[in-house]
Amino acid sequence: MDIDIILSQVEEEIKNINSPEGLEQFRLKYLGRKGVVAQLTSTIPTLPNQEKAVFGQKVNALKGKILSLLKEKQGAVVSGKGVSQEPYVDIGMPGIAQEIGHLHPLTQITEEICSIFNRIGFSIVEGPEIETEQNNFTGLNIPLEHPSREAFDTFYLKDYPKMLLRSHTSPVQVRAMKTHKPPLAIVVPGKVYRPDAVDASHSFMFHQVEGFMVDKGIQFSDLKGILELFARTIFNSDIKMRFRPHFFPFTEPSAEVDISCIICKGKGCSVCGRKGWLEILGAGMIHPNVFKHVGIDSGKYTGFAFGMGVERIAMLKYGINDIRLFFENDVRFLRQF
Amino acid sequence: MKFTYNWIKDFVDIKIPAEKLADKLTMAGVEVVSLDKRDGDYVFEVEITSNRPDWLSILGIAREVAAVTGSRLKITEIKRKIKAQKLPALTIEIEDRKDCPLYTARIIRDITIAPSPDWLRKRLELVGCRSVNNVVDITNYCLFELGEPLHAFDLDKVAQDKIIIRRAKAGEKITTIDGNIRNIDRGSLVIADSLRPLALAGLMGGKESEVTSSTKNVLLEAALFTPILIRRMRQAHAIHSESGYRFERGIDPQIVNKASQRAAVLMEEVCGGREVYFKSSGFTNTKERTVILKVSNVERVLGLRISNSKIKQILSSLGFKVSGRGKSALAIAVPSFRQDVSLEEDLIEEISRIFGYENIPSTLPRVLPSINIRESRGLVSDIKNMLIGLGLNEAATYSLIDSRVLNEFNPSVNPVGIMNPLSREQEVLRSTLIPGLTRAIAYNLNQKQEYIALFEVANVFFNKDNSPCAELRLGIALSGAKRMLFNDSAIKDELGLLNLKGILESLLVRLKIQAYEFRALNQEGKAHIFINNEEIGYMQVLSPNLLEKLEIKNKKVFVLEISLDKLLTFYRAQHKYVPLPKYPGITRDISFIFKKGNSMKDILIKLQEKGQPLLKGLRIVDYYEGKQIPQGFRGLTLECIYGSSQRTLTEDEVMPVHSLLCLVLREQPGVELR
Repeated sequence: MDIDIILSQVEEEIKNINSPEGLEQFRLKYLGRKGVVAQLTSTIPTLPNQEKAVFGQKVNALKGKILSLLKEKQGAVVSGKGVSQEPYVDIGMPGIAQEIGHLHPLTQITEEICSIFNRIGFSIVEGPEIETEQNNFTGLNIPLEHPSREAFDTFYLKDYPKMLLRSHTSPVQVRAMKTHKPPLAIVVPGKVYRPDAVDASHSFMFHQVEGFMVDKGIQFSDLKGILELFARTIFNSDIKMRFRPHFFPFTEPSAEVDISCIICKGKGCSVCGRKGWLEILGAGMIHPNVFKHVGIDSGKYTGFAFGMGVERIAMLKYGINDIRLFFENDVRFLRQF
Repeated sequence: MKFTYNWIKDFVDIKIPAEKLADKLTMAGVEVVSLDKRDGDYVFEVEITSNRPDWLSILGIAREVAAVTGSRLKITEIKRKIKAQKLPALTIEIEDRKDCPLYTARIIRDITIAPSPDWLRKRLELVGCRSVNNVVDITNYCLFELGEPLHAFDLDKVAQDKIIIRRAKAGEKITTIDGNIRNIDRGSLVIADSLRPLALAGLMGGKESEVTSSTKNVLLEAALFTPILIRRMRQAHAIHSESGYRFERGIDPQIVNKASQRAAVLMEEVCGGREVYFKSSGFTNTKERTVILKVSNVERVLGLRISNSKIKQILSSLGFKVSGRGKSALAIAVPSFRQDVSLEEDLIEEISRIFGYENIPSTLPRVLPSINIRESRGLVSDIKNMLIGLGLNEAATYSLIDSRVLNEFNPSVNPVGIMNPLSREQEVLRSTLIPGLTRAIAYNLNQKQEYIALFEVANVFFNKDNSPCAELRLGIALSGAKRMLFNDSAIKDELGLLNLKGILESLLVRLKIQAYEFRALNQEGKAHIFINNEEIGYMQVLSPNLLEKLEIKNKKVFVLEISLDKLLTFYRAQHKYVPLPKYPGITRDISFIFKKGNSMKDILIKLQEKGQPLLKGLRIVDYYEGKQIPQGFRGLTLECIYGSSQRTLTEDEVMPVHSLLCLVLREQPGVELR
């Protein structure tokens, strides 16, 4: 049999194979135990000696060729397998999974604020919502019958004299400083309450994050540095910040802190009341009377404190214009965060 | 408070435009909230913090303007001497000097009551004060200009030329100039004559003695009253007056007489009167307070070095007197109008304020982590994140609630009440999270949502051993049907108690808590949740009765509430590893039908026991109701997994155990093998 003819026959045959089964048949026909190549090989001993070598090389070449054709075809047949055998999938159909829920935006913002300070090295501490008048006011240098109380209208408890719903998270300063020695770096998230009539920008229950740091050598310039770092992280890196003198009974010097309006970038718009600035927090150096109350030597230690409204930050960040949306719990609202 | 650009210019030369001035004031702590150009002048509205009553006057603002612009304050001293008159002397009786440290009275005779001249009327109107007549307007003008409230009485209505400053007697009444008839409580201070109260001290005058168009002679009062007393009276009588606002915050004792003199001069000029009498009773401490400022403390607090000469310049510009030539310390005499300054820190604030907060650098402190502070928020945060992974949305509802609503849900608890709620909806602190969540469900059903799954983590409150207690809880509320699409089908699954059970079990897996149990007790549709035999909460389907009250129609609402404070005590972070099975297990299924109304719980426990030691797992893998299953039954398939840690089990070893389980199962009430 002429090997060249066999070769052309092989090449012709393999072209028409398009299934793994056909390919296997082809392999058996040529390379099987009783296949063509085996038969050719078995004829070698019968040949004259001078022809043996040449014929043998030809058979080997044929075998090699068949093997490489097989290998080539195998790839093609296998890669076609998925298309030909699997059921049809419309990838445009919805994916299959448990639909995921959403954390409340106030939780997300609170976590974001706390985690920024946490990364700087602040610990997160919580305190009770029911507080004593002492911790909420007197210990924070807010005299009981004083106009500075105006800013902190408060819900008092029935049946428990001098107990109230905290009107700010600052009482946790008093608690923490009473039980822990400096150095202290703490943030306090939590609910606070003030008897305000509910409207688009007021709520009788809202959320604050308080932060404070006490150590030897803490300065007003540190407060500026920490809060600038915070504002650039939570809003964006090109935000401008300004500190305005203000009054809080528990800090001296005190400041109100504004950021350049994130809507108009400081040009003036309806969100910032054409001022170009948005007030986001209050801060200052902890008042010596607060230290005195908790038994920290203000000659030795200094500290700063700051506080911010979570709703305020969330409203600015997400462009929400009505505080009541946070407590309505419309799932179409919640699903956006 | 409002003031105008031109009025300030009476006291200080301003060389910068109004807008620039507004910026400078804001950055010095006098926050300008609005600036309007009106009638050829600029009206500034500022927010004055409660520590700075000295800013509640044109003079005070002018002093600040001088400091921030580097100008000088112009003050003209009024020097007056009144010729002795042969008139019956006015008697001033102060019952208690603590209530009224100083009372002065001037008598101006023969005045003509008329509308105010334009300049006077206009200035008052620009700062938001209604013009009444020339005499009243002059008292108001001096109040705004100098910060001392004055009151003018019609002298001829004051009986027997006698003024008594005393606490009110029982049952006394007064008709104030706003027309209200007020009962005066005994704590209130009144200005009276020998017959009756003429005015509520420091707050508002009485109608009877007010200056009218027929008034000829005026008694002009300028006094000091104790701030706390005025504050209590203002709250008791709900009076908001410019006068009370200032007295409550504290008046510069040095300004009392100056304001009164200024008013007298104006009354002579404007109303054609003649001052004939002056009397002052009581006195004020004129000794100035001195605060020592250690210069190094300025840098210690601010993080910025400011030179001694700059410190001196700033403090002097604000009216402080600086002495002490040493380099390290300065003696600062505090002027009488700065009652707020008593500590070194107060002075440091003044220095930094005028120096400019913007000129203080930003630095970062070294933060040492406080490792001794325990943080327990991590697990709560994990729980919240798991719940959203399970498809629930987090809600936030109010801690305060209407006691009637709370009572519908939780009648057995005596809630913690609020003394001063603004409405019934803030009457009590909630003792359960469920009313708020159910309300949120009702709201969303109204918005035509068909699947609502909400949770909240928050405190609830209750009375325990005579004190108010808080407990952190997790509440979940589900309603509606969940649509799910699978590869070969889609289902619409009506939510139920088992959804709640599944959610809770997922949390328990995360917390590695195994010893839990759901116990159905007496009440229909309610199961109590126990861990190690301690009840931590419940889940239930809300009664149709309750739903009707919340206007939820044709829907079921399933709720769960557990105490996280209790649950988290069972969490153990330490946890031992169990070696993986070395030999493969053998799985056998049992299909059976089970009568509805019976519970699988005890059956599973019994099978678990009987299958030991080879039975390694038992779970329900199929569940069916339909044609092949008789009415009142459901078809279940139970998968039993057998295995051994010593060897691969053979069929012969598994057979007897599996047959035993089949036998045991068949004997259970309501079970028939298929």
